[in-house]
Amino acid sequence: MALHDDALNVSRRAFLKTVSASSVAAGVIGVGESEAQTGPAPIGPGEVSVQLSIDGQARTLKVEPRVTLLDAMRERLNLTAQKRVCDRGSCGACTVLVDGKSAYACSILAIQMQGKSIRTVASLAQGTVLHPVQQAFCDHDGLMCGFCTPGFVMSAVALLESNPSPTPAQARAALDGNICRCGTYPRVLEAVLNTKGVRRG
Amino acid sequence: MADTPQVPEVNAPSRPQPHEKYPWPAEPTLVGKRIQRVDGPIKVTGQAKYSYDINRPGGLHGRILRSPHPHARIVAIDLSAASKAPGVKAVMAVLQPGAKVMFQGEEVAALAAATEEQADDALRLIKVQYEVLPHIATEALALREGAPQVFKDGNIKAGDTEEAGDLEAGFKAAAHTVLAGYATQVQTHVSLETHGCVCEWDGDKLTSWVSTQAVHGTREQFAKALDIPQANVRVITEYMGGGFGSKFGPDAQGIICAKLAKQAGAAVKLLLDRKDEHLASGNRPSSASKIKAGVSADGMLTAFDAETWGTGGAGAGSGFPLPYIYVFPNRRRKHRDIFTNAGPQRAMRAPGHPQGCFHTEMLMDELADKLRMDPLAFRIKNLPPEAPNAMWRKYFPIAAERFGWSKRHVTGDPTPGPIKRGMGCAANRWGGGGQGTKAHCEINPDGSVVMRCGTQDLGVGTKTIVAIITAETLGIPMELVRAEIGDSNYPFSGGSGGSTTAPGVSPAIRVTSGMALDALKAKVAPGLGVDAATLVASNGRIHVKGDPSKGLAWRDACKQLGMEPLAVDGQWERGLSASGTSGVQFAEVEVDIETGVSKVTRVTCVQDCGLIVDQLTAESQCIGGIIGGVNYALFEDRILDRVTGHMVNPNMEWYRIAGPSDIPTIDITLMNQPERGVIGIGEPPTISTAAAVANAVANAIGARIRSIPITPEKVITALAEREKTGGTL
Ligand code: FES
Ligand code: FES
Repeated sequence: MALHDDALNVSRRAFLKTVSASSVAAGVIGVGESEAQTGPAPIGPGEVSVQLSIDGQARTLKVEPRVTLLDAMRERLNLTAQKRVCDRGSCGACTVLVDGKSAYACSILAIQMQGKSIRTVASLAQGTVLHPVQQAFCDHDGLMCGFCTPGFVMSAVALLESNPSPTPAQARAALDGNICRCGTYPRVLEAVLNTKGVRRG
Repeated sequence: MADTPQVPEVNAPSRPQPHEKYPWPAEPTLVGKRIQRVDGPIKVTGQAKYSYDINRPGGLHGRILRSPHPHARIVAIDLSAASKAPGVKAVMAVLQPGAKVMFQGEEVAALAAATEEQADDALRLIKVQYEVLPHIATEALALREGAPQVFKDGNIKAGDTEEAGDLEAGFKAAAHTVLAGYATQVQTHVSLETHGCVCEWDGDKLTSWVSTQAVHGTREQFAKALDIPQANVRVITEYMGGGFGSKFGPDAQGIICAKLAKQAGAAVKLLLDRKDEHLASGNRPSSASKIKAGVSADGMLTAFDAETWGTGGAGAGSGFPLPYIYVFPNRRRKHRDIFTNAGPQRAMRAPGHPQGCFHTEMLMDELADKLRMDPLAFRIKNLPPEAPNAMWRKYFPIAAERFGWSKRHVTGDPTPGPIKRGMGCAANRWGGGGQGTKAHCEINPDGSVVMRCGTQDLGVGTKTIVAIITAETLGIPMELVRAEIGDSNYPFSGGSGGSTTAPGVSPAIRVTSGMALDALKAKVAPGLGVDAATLVASNGRIHVKGDPSKGLAWRDACKQLGMEPLAVDGQWERGLSASGTSGVQFAEVEVDIETGVSKVTRVTCVQDCGLIVDQLTAESQCIGGIIGGVNYALFEDRILDRVTGHMVNPNMEWYRIAGPSDIPTIDITLMNQPERGVIGIGEPPTISTAAAVANAVANAIGARIRSIPITPEKVITALAEREKTGGTL
C-alpha cells in the first residue's frame, strides 16, 4: 500500500483505541496502551460522517470507522467497479488510485480517505470511448471472466501514468500485486506493453 | 471384475455426419477468426454487474456461522442474543441439536442484518455448544492402524479392481521394471468471485442472482429445496467471476440466503468470504499411487500394476483415470477412496485427468530412463492407434519441433552453476461434446437481432461465440446481434461443465439462426421474384446465390417484416458438434539448486478442439489452462493441520497462486478440425502441464520429485538424497 501514516485525518492512536478488527490495525497493534491516553477524542465506534471524492464526485456518507474504502464504495454507494476477492491485500482486485498512486481499497479505511482523490476503473472511459489501457485489454484479450480486470487496469494505469514506456520486467513488477485465476497474464502484459497514448499523471 | 476400457470418456461420434440443412460454412467470415470478446468493453469499464455486485433496494447482508471443528456433534444452538442484535432481521439454525458437522467450515447457523458489520457482530453472539469428536485430517492419519473410524462405513472405501490382459505374462515379458509412487495434492478452485447469491422474493416468487455455471440446474435445485414450483424461480447470472467446476447449484449458502430473505421480507446478499470459499466450496481431490510397471527391451510397455488412493474429503470420492493414454496391454489397478474431515471435493477443470496424467507421465519418463531411450520416442511407440480424437502421433512431433526438443540433454543438466535447465512433455485427452440446448432468435424490423439462450459465460467467451455464430449465419456484422444469456427465463441449456458448453450451445445457435434466416428469406423472396431456396445471406445482404446484385440490403429485408419481429425457436441438432480431443504439451524449467526454486520458462501446447469458433478466445482458454497447470505443479496446496484439522492457508497469500512474474512464455498451436464440428476446450489444456513441468524438473536436476507441488523444500531434499545415494534418479 502506497499510503503513509500522515494520510490519516485522525490520530492513529485515538483511532486504534476504537478499532479492533480492521486489517490496517492488525499490523500496528503493538502500539502501547498508555500512549492512547492522550490526543484528540476517539472517533466511533458508531457511524461517522465521511466525505469522499470518488471519480471526481464528492460523496458524503455515514459509516462506522472500521468500514474499508472498498466496502464503503461497493456496499454503501453502489460503486461496484472494483471487486472484493481476498479482502486482505493479497490479490489486487480492489485496486484504486489514491492521489495517483495504486492502493488496495480493501486495506484502507474510508475515514482515512477524506481529502484524497480516489479513482476507480469507472472513471477512465469517455462515454463509449475506452481509455487506451482498456482498449488494449480488449484488443489483446487481456481478460476472461473479468473479475480481476478492473484491478489490473488500475495497476496498469498507475504504471503508465508514471512510466509510459515500461520494459516487460517493469510491467510485470507493477502488476505483481494482482492475481488472475483465469490465467490472462500473458495477454494482460501484452496489452500493457502495447498501450499507446497514456498521459503522465 | 470389469474389463474397463482405458479411454472411457470418448463418446461417439468423434466425427459426425455433417448437418443436412445448416452445416458449418466452408468459407466462414467470422467463425474461426480472431474475434474480440463481446463483453470486453463492459468488463474493462467496471460496468458489468456480477452477482457479487447486485445491491437491491433495502437489501440485507447474510452471514453464515460455520463449524470451527472438523468433526463435532451439535449439542445446542442459542440464537436469542443474535436475534436481538442491532440491524438483525433474520436468524436461523442450519443444523439442529444432535446433527453432526463433518468438516471445518460446515454451515451451522445464519443471519441477515442491515450492514455487513452488523451481521459480523451478530454472528459472534450465536452460541453453539459442540461435542467435539475425533477427526481425521489427512490420508496418512486415516490409514494408520487404530485410527478412529469417523465415517459410518469406515474411513476407506475400496473401489472395483480394473483389469485387462495377463499381468503375470506382462511382467515376464519385461526387460526392466520400475516400482515407484506418485502423489498430487488437494487444490481448491479459488474462483475470484466467491460462491453465493442475492435472493429476493416477490410473494412466492424468487429471483436469485447466483454466481453459477448452471442457471437452469440452479433453478431446479432452488425449487426442490424450497418446495416451490420451478416456474416461480428465476436465476440470473449475467456475468460471473469463474467457477472451474465448483458452481453447479445454489449450494447450502444459496438455500440459506433464500430462507433468510423470506424470513426478513427483504432481499439478502450472501457471498462467501475467501476463507469459507476455501473450506466449503469444493476442491480437487488428492491422489497417490504405488505402481509397478514393466517394459520390454525394445521399449514396449508390457505390464502395469497399481494401487491408488486419494481423498475427496468428508464422504466424497477421489477417482481418476489410470493408466492414462499409453497402452499397457496387461494391467491391474485398485483404487481406494479415503475419507477425511475436510470439505468435500467437487468437479474441478478436467476432473481426475491431471492426476491420471501426472502419475502416468512421470512413470513414462522413469521407464524411458531405464531403457536409456528418448522419452518422446518412447511415448510415441506406446500410443494407441491414431483416430480423430487421438492425434498424439501427429502432435508430438509438431510440438517437439516448435519447442526445440532436440536440444534436450539427458537427465541432469551438466552445465556448471546453480541454475539447471530441463525439458519435459506430456499428453492429454478429453471427451467434451454436449447437446440439449435450446435457443430463441428474434429478427427485428430495424435489422437488429436478439439471440437468447439460457446458457452462461464463466469467463470463457460463451456470449461471444453466440454472437459470432448468429452473425455468421445471418451474414451480418456482429454489432447487429445482441446475445442474451445467463437467465433461467431463456430457453434451456445445460450446466457449463466438462467442456460441453461450446458443443452444446453452438449447434443450437447455428440451427436457430438458420431457421430465422429461412423465415426471412421466405418473406422477401416473393418481392424479389425468386424462389426462397435460391437466396443466401452474406456481407449484410440477402441475395440470389452467386449474384449479390440481385437482392436486398439486410436492413431493407428486415423492413419487410413491418411491425412484427420475426421469432424462431430452435435447438441442438446432430452433425454440428462432436466429442473427443487430444493434445500435447512441452515444458522447460529452470531450477536454482541453491534455493530450490523452480521456474517454468516456456510451455509449448499443441491442442485440438474440433471446429474453432473464435481463435482469439480459444487461445486464451489454452493459456489459462496452462497457467492453472503451472499453479498445480509448483504452488497450490490446501494444507490441513494434522492435529487440529484446520486449514492453515485459507487465503490468497499462503495458498499460493502464480502472479505475473511466475508465468512462462506460452506458445499455442490450435489444430483446427472443421470437419468434426465444435468440441470444447475448457478442460484439455490444463491436464498435462503439471506432468510436463515435473518431468522437466527431473530432467534439470537429475533427481525426481514424485509429488506436486514441487516446492523448494522438496527440491533441496531430493538433491540431498541424491548426494547421499550417489546416483542419479
Ligand atoms: S480484495 Fe483487496 S487485495 Fe484482494
Ligand atoms: S479474468 Fe478471471 S480472474 Fe482474471
